[in-house]
This record gives sequence, structure tokens and C-alpha cells, in this order.
Amino acid sequence: MIQEVTVNINGALIKAAKGTSILDAALDYGICIPHLCRVPYVEDLGACRLCIVEHVVNGRSKITTSCTLLVQEGMVVLTNTDKIRKLRRNLAELLVAEAPNSRAIQDIALRCGVRDVRYPFRNNDCVLCGRCVRVCTGKLAEKPLGFVGRGKNRRVEFPFDLRSELCNDCGRCIELCPMTMPACDGMMKPGEEHLCGNCESKLSDDDLALGYCVGCYFGEGFHCERSPN
Amino acid sequence: MNKIKTFKELEEFRNKIINNRKNNTSTIVVCGGTGCKASRSKDVIDALKKEINQQGISESVHLRTTGCHGFCEQGPLVVIEPKNIFYCHVSPDDAEEIISKTIQNNETIERLLYIDPVTGKTIETETEVPFYKSQDRQILSQNRQVDPCSIDDYIAIGGYNALGKALLDISPQSIVQEVIDSGLRGRGGGGFPTGRKWAECREAPGNEKYVICNADEGDPGAYMDRCVLEGNPHLVLEGMIIGAWAIGANQGYIYVRNEYPLAVENVRIAVKQARDLGLLGENIFGTSFSFDIEIARGGGAFVCGESTALMASLEGRVGEPRPKDVHTVIDGLWHKPTTLNNVETWANIPNIIQKGSSFFASKGSKGSKGTKILALTGCIKNTGLVEVEMGTPIKTVVYDIGGGAPKGKNIKAVQTGGPSGGCIPVDKFDLPLDFDALYDAGSMIGSGGVVVMDENTCMVDVAKYFLNFLQDESCGKCVPCRLGVDRMLEIITEISDGRGKLEHISLLEELGETISYTALCGLGKTAANAVTSTLNYFKEEYEAHIKDKKCPAGVCQELISYSIDPENCTGCGVCLRGCPHEAITGEKKKVHSINLELCQKCGICRSECKFEAIIVN
Repeated sequence: MIQEVTVNINGALIKAAKGTSILDAALDYGICIPHLCRVPYVEDLGACRLCIVEHVVNGRSKITTSCTLLVQEGMVVLTNTDKIRKLRRNLAELLVAEAPNSRAIQDIALRCGVRDVRYPFRNNDCVLCGRCVRVCTGKLAEKPLGFVGRGKNRRVEFPFDLRSELCNDCGRCIELCPMTMPACDGMMKPGEEHLCGNCESKLSDDDLALGYCVGCYFGEGFHCERSPN
Repeated sequence: MNKIKTFKELEEFRNKIINNRKNNTSTIVVCGGTGCKASRSKDVIDALKKEINQQGISESVHLRTTGCHGFCEQGPLVVIEPKNIFYCHVSPDDAEEIISKTIQNNETIERLLYIDPVTGKTIETETEVPFYKSQDRQILSQNRQVDPCSIDDYIAIGGYNALGKALLDISPQSIVQEVIDSGLRGRGGGGFPTGRKWAECREAPGNEKYVICNADEGDPGAYMDRCVLEGNPHLVLEGMIIGAWAIGANQGYIYVRNEYPLAVENVRIAVKQARDLGLLGENIFGTSFSFDIEIARGGGAFVCGESTALMASLEGRVGEPRPKDVHTVIDGLWHKPTTLNNVETWANIPNIIQKGSSFFASKGSKGSKGTKILALTGCIKNTGLVEVEMGTPIKTVVYDIGGGAPKGKNIKAVQTGGPSGGCIPVDKFDLPLDFDALYDAGSMIGSGGVVVMDENTCMVDVAKYFLNFLQDESCGKCVPCRLGVDRMLEIITEISDGRGKLEHISLLEELGETISYTALCGLGKTAANAVTSTLNYFKEEYEAHIKDKKCPAGVCQELISYSIDPENCTGCGVCLRGCPHEAITGEKKKVHSINLELCQKCGICRSECKFEAIIVN
């Protein structure tokens, strides 16, 4: 039997099965917490840090990622405080400065409140969210994709930089990659650190009903359960 | 060798060792720690050995090679027991004289004695040396008394007594309580109460539990754990066995970095010796308790000093931290309850058991009990390892023990706690060195590194150095640490290159806040400390870089230029010969000049010049 616990998210009492994360529980009830590296049904990494929430314990709040925080009876979580919004905006700004050419990353940055980016654009091809690495299941239950290197040199690669024979061409890595949707105006140039916000038109409903999930374009690309398709 | 099965047998074994050494009239103690080894203490030891044999006194004189004594600045160090005569800067040529004069005829050799730099008087015995006088060496004092490769030495000074006491007289529950009462906090940096960690691990469900000793010390300029593990490995083992008994673990690991070859070797020998004597293995002291220790060597990644990354590395996976929403005392190594403590924490345990928690708690300040080993380095006269009571003011450590800056320069700040710590300016030197006071000041005591900086240090450059280190060592898993530190470094580089803007300062502050709140692991959360603390205390230096395009300390290359002071220049030509870029011209005995177009600002001329004629503008 599934054990249910009750958690308090932004003042709303929500029932969730034991073992689910706060992020999943919140999304189930339409409380949208921005997230990037999470993939449903795959082990969470806690790498992008966008889904940070305030976890209140004994009156003191601790900031942690909601994807790795599992529900517990009586847990109190705040997802949308000023502090969280500010930190989330800074994180999204760091991300979008790294990969401004991805529509998905642009969307997420806009949703987190970024317009002008204070860092020079870098036009990288990968933000190391690790979505591809975690969904990758090759032949013989071996994972052809993995992270290589440390820190600045970290990248996603096949073993020894050679396309592995274990890859079974399922294409899930490409499907889940946030970099596969280029932004409408083409390459962003260093020196023009500004997001036009045109993509945001898709999200305009969100502005009207703040905090209510409208099934955005961003969610579609990211296999959000609530996306229109 | 027979295994020791009861406490009585340990006593008998100890008496036998002490009896065997009755004939020794004197002992020559030579420091064989890494610092002294670098100043050729191995040759000194060989020379002394040869001399002892030649003069035919090997029966009555015992030569002991020990781990680090702490006063690395004065190495190689030799101490002659029982009078504790203290010789420093000993060279192999002095061996003959030491044996024939000091050992045979009880004469002290004046020129090898330490000279007090303040009074100018020579000091004969070790205890009178000012460097040692102001210290409280609870752990380090044993380093001098034992040969790290000899379990006999350790047992002779009362070693493994605490283990016997713990196993036979105290219940595991009471041991945990004793550690809680002692107020011991983790010495690795976090400062989490050790007793609470043990209690949580003890109460965690599951029969299989682990203890781990974290010897993956990676802070620049810190080497406390190295010296304890190199100099007295049995102390750490004893602490671990007691801990394992208290929490109910049967397997322990020592994760030591491979860059510490001597520590790896000594701890291997120690584990083997303890196994041979039955102090590790099945049924220790005839009880039902079995425990063994395995040694794992780390590959030198800084991030593997973080507990969850260390455990991942031990399991054979990539050393990356994971979120700790469930603590490692419940879900640790192989998802089993695990207690991980730092070398120095484990080394404190035997003392707590032996002397009681009240003795330990009597030392230190309100929130931080006991003593702390500090690695004193940087612009200071007496570099070395220092052990002081927690809560000792910074100025005592820097001026009384460290002796202040060399060449009469002014000290500007200390950097404590390695890359996770921050800088504390000289006007805050009254602050006590303990967990809470330093945390409130925006730094931390960390693992105990204390880097002293004088007036010639640029704080922007210091921040840049630590960011560079962290950018190299970040695992790259989470966004704030990987990208945040990288962007911080980018901004700081702009500032130090003279392209800084005033809004950069607020951006750095905001970025620092973001990193410290949102990074995944403890190392990431503290990564911005170097920047935030220097911004907090030395904002005017940042502003000088940005507004005036000047580096007040004369360090940041893009903002300075060198010239020659015609009044001080004697025309000796040292700078001219030293300059690798041929930028200096001048005739002998005439004032030289620097061609600014060729000058690469390497600073070689400045360090070569004996007349301080090279000025930095």
C-alpha cells in the first residue's frame, strides 16, 4: 500500500506518496517550480539548482533543491519567497550567459526574471544539466554516455571520446537536450547581453495568473507532465 | 609476535618494553617529518647513526626518528633527552660533535642552540623556546615521543590504554556520551559536534556500519593532518577503534591522499603492527568486538575531502558530492550508516577517554573545546605547526608564537581555513581562534591553515589566487560552483587588469551570496568566502583597482610599472644580469634604468636588488 504523507507547500496542504520529491509533489498540484536537470522517473542529480526552495525546520529556513528533498510528514516548504526568486534569477542568469542560443534556457531565464544579463555571453553548446547522461541506457545495460573531466573541463562524452558501440541509437539524449531548440533570432552575440523576451509571449498567461501552470512551451520541450501535448 | 588478549597483557608488554630500555642513558630525537626531511634530516640521522657506532655507545644511546615537531622553520631539529637540549639547523657535519660533546660529556654546543630573536639570548631546552612556550600541545607533544614506525614506542608512553579502558570498562553508550560531554567538534572544517554525529550513527538502523578517517587534506598551506598521520599514526588508529566500538562498526577506512607518501607508508606499517598485536582484527582484547581498517589512497582531488565525494570515491565511483538531505550518518558509504571524521578529530578521542571529558572541556572557549593544531605559514618568522587552546587570540598566534613578519614588515591580514575560509584584517586580531568567532567574522577556522599576509600582499590578488584554485578543483557538478566561481574569477581578473567597473563590486557581492546559498556541497557553499571577506574588509583596495587603476600593494602586474630609484641605485649590475628580458640598461657604478617597453614586470630585479632601489609605481 502506498503510504501518504501531508506536506505544506506555500501554505497549501498537499498529500503525496512517501518517496516522492517535493518538486514532483508540487508539480502534481500545479505549483510550478522552475527546473532544468530533472527528468521524470530518473534519479535526480541536483545539478542545476533552479528548483531551490526554502525548507523550514524549527523556524529556521534552509535552502535546498526540491528535486532531492523527499516528502516527509509535516514538512514545511516555501517555493516562491523573495529570497528564492532572487537566487533563482541569479542562477538562471549564470546559465543563460553560458548558453544564450537555447530557446529552452532563454525561456527558463525569462521565467525566472532575467532580462539583461550581466555576464558576457559565451555561446557554449552544453550546460551540463546531465539529462542525456541520466536517461542514457545503451546495450547490455551499459551507459555509453557519461561525464568526463572536472570543473571547467567537465563535458559529456563517450568513453575515450569515441562513439561507443554500446549506443543503441535510441535518440533519447537528443530528445531531452535543452540545447536542441535554437532561439528565433539566431546566434546571440557577445556584447548584446539582453534577452528579447519574444519567446515569452508563449508564457504571457503565466504573467496574468502568477503561480498557476499554463502548460508552457518550455514544459513541452522538457516533458513536463502538464504540457499541452 | 603474540597477540595481546587482555588488558593485563598490554600492561606486561609495556613493562617489558620499558625494562628493555632501562640501559639507555640518553635518547637523541631527530625530526624526520616532511619539513625537516626537506632540509636533509635524513643525512643527519645517517651521520648520527654512524657516529654512535664508531664511538661504540650504541648500547646506551637510543636514536629515535620521529614525525614533525612543528618548528619546521628551524629544521632539521635534534633534541637530546633526558635534558631536552634543543638543537636547530643541524647539519650532518655536526653529528660527531653532538655525540662526543653532548652525549659523552654532557656539554651543550652553543652554536647549534636556538637564539631568541627578541632578546638575542641562546636557549638551551626545548620547553623554553618561545615558539613552544605559548602552545598547549596535547596531540603534537606525542609526535616527539614516538617513532611512527614503532608500536613499542607508542605503547611505552601509554598508548592503547584508552582503548583498553573503552572496551573493558565503559559501555559504547557511555563513550558516545563522554564525547558529547567533551564538546569536541569536527576538526576538518565544518565544526559539527562529533558526539552528536556518533550518537546519530549509533542509533541509525542497520547492523553494518562504517567509520572513515578523512586524511584527504587539500587546503593550500595546511599540513596538520599530514603531520599527525605521519608522526603518530597509532593515535589515529586508537581513536578510530574506540569510535568503531562506540557506534558499532566493524570496518574502517582511512582515506589518505597519495601525495602524502610518508603518511601512507607510516599508516600502513601502523595498521600491520596493530593487527599483529591483535589490536585490530577479531576479538580485540578478548571481547566479542572485531574491527579492521583498510587504507584507501586518494588521487588528489580537492573535492574528495568532502564527505559524500570521499565516500563515492571509496566506492569506486567518480568523486563528486551528492545532496545531503539525508545525512551520511544514516545513508553513507554503500548506503550504510557511516561516521566520517577528520584525522585530528580521531586523534583527540584517546585523550578524551583517557583523561575524561571534563579535562578536555576545561580547555577552549565557550562553543569550541580542546586544542587545535594550526599550520602557520606565509609572511611570518616562525612557520610551522602550532597547537593552541581553542579561543586563543589571533595576535597571540601571529606575534607571540609566529614572531611577527620577517624584515620588520607590517602584517595586514591572516587568511584562515584554506580556500573555504576568509581573510581577517589586522585590526580584528583580538578575535579568538574558534569556530563561532571566526564564522561570525566571515571566515572559518577550517582545518586550521593560517596564512599570514604582510603589506606587500594585494587582497584582490589573494582572492584571485583562491578563485583560481577553486575553479581548478570544483567538481563541476552544480551550476553555482562551476559557473559562479568561473564568473567571479572572470570579474576579478577584469579588476586586477584595470578594466574593472564599480558595478562589479555589487555583482561580486550578489554572486557570492548566490553561491553560498545554493551550491550543492559544503565546499561550494564556502567557495565565495575568499571574495566576500576581502570585499568586506578591504573594499578600498578593490576601489583603488577600479577607480584609480592602481594596485596599492604593487602586485597586480597590469597596474604597476617598475623604475629605478637613482638615490639608492649603486650601479652594481645585479638587476641587469638578472633581467631575463634585457629591459635594464646602465653602465657599471652608474644609475641604471628600465626600458618600460621591454619590461615584462616579472619582478626579478626587485627581488635581486640588495639596495631596495627598484620601486613599484
